Amino acid sequence: MITVNLEPDGTVVELPDTRSVHAVLNKLRLRFTMALVVRNGELLTPDRKLKDGDVLMVRKVTSAG
Amino acid sequence: MKCTRCKATAHVALPSHHSGFCKDCFPLFFTRQVETAIRREKMFTHDERILVALSGGKDSLALMLELHLQGYDVTGLHIDLGIPGSSDKARAKVERFSEKHGLKLEVFEMEKWGLPIPDVKAHVRRPVCAVCGKMKRHHFNRIAVEGGYDALATGHNLDDEVARLFANTLRWDTAYLSDQGPVLPASDGFVRKVKPLFRLSEFETANYAFLKGIEIHSDPCPYATGASFTGHKELWGELEHRSPGQKLQFYQSFLKNGKPAFAAVERETGAELKPCAECGSPTSAGTCSVCRIRAAVRESKAKAEA
Ligand code: SF4
Ligand SMILES: [Zn+2]
Ligand SMILES: [Zn+2]
Repeated sequence: MITVNLEPDGTVVELPDTRSVHAVLNKLRLRFTMALVVRNGELLTPDRKLKDGDVLMVRKVTSAG
Repeated sequence: MKCTRCKATAHVALPSHHSGFCKDCFPLFFTRQVETAIRREKMFTHDERILVALSGGKDSLALMLELHLQGYDVTGLHIDLGIPGSSDKARAKVERFSEKHGLKLEVFEMEKWGLPIPDVKAHVRRPVCAVCGKMKRHHFNRIAVEGGYDALATGHNLDDEVARLFANTLRWDTAYLSDQGPVLPASDGFVRKVKPLFRLSEFETANYAFLKGIEIHSDPCPYATGASFTGHKELWGELEHRSPGQKLQFYQSFLKNGKPAFAAVERETGAELKPCAECGSPTSAGTCSVCRIRAAVRESKAKAEA
């Protein structure tokens, strides 16, 4: 299970059977350049592999004006 | 993915540049893009004084920090709009940021000037954001002119510029299409306006802000009715995904091929500007719209209190 803290919404999503950043973004229906993905303070590119129990921060970048 | 520059693990993938960068090399890429923008568009030099509009959003703070790191003479200007529960937070964020990096900062308070934005909301029938935007542009320009600054820089990025251009094109708004661009030269009563981040996407600016420890979160204004252009930005996000690089190409082709034609039309039909009777800012009416709105609100408040 991957835990995703979605910002700026402030919601938490749990994703089963998700093994890469690419897959996380697809499940959230986000294009690569629409969000930052961070694990333990480190930015991740879409090809990075994930392991069970990973906690991610996914921040959409489109600012509100 | 490996960093294009040093082969370490990449942290930022950039399909539009067919490259990826690690956390140490990405800021160098960002710096190069800003340098290219300033040089090619002849925005300003190291001998000039630059006023930077600081809303508190990640783009304006990233711009301020980057120009400072490049050794430019920059001063930040924040406008405190006087909106309870939001303006104080934005202001505190800008003040914290400026203090942390040792940056010069000026704060202008709408309340002291006699027109906090809640009064606009209560007494002016037009959409509050239209008036608020007008007020901010007016004061940024006025303070830059009065302070003798050479240029006013704003944090507009490529996505902002493309979304605005797209909106102007959908309406074929020749007045806006004639002068939209990364540089608006100074003219009578107007300071030169520049957008040094215009080659960088919102994604790239967000990555830079993150890596530089700039707080990305900002508390939304309670009057915001959903960001303007969000729909256009999403559309362009899709186009960019299908053919990376298209955004910058659309914008640069406009500057080269579209804008000159619209500018020629405007020279024939544009209105003549004279100083406002009250504040001296250039206007095509006797008294500028900002001064008229302030007077109208004063009157409306006096009536409500009587
Ligand atoms: S959302 Fe509207 S009222 Fe609020 S700061 Fe932006 S322009 Fe002004
Ligand atoms: Zn590198
Ligand atoms: Zn005026």
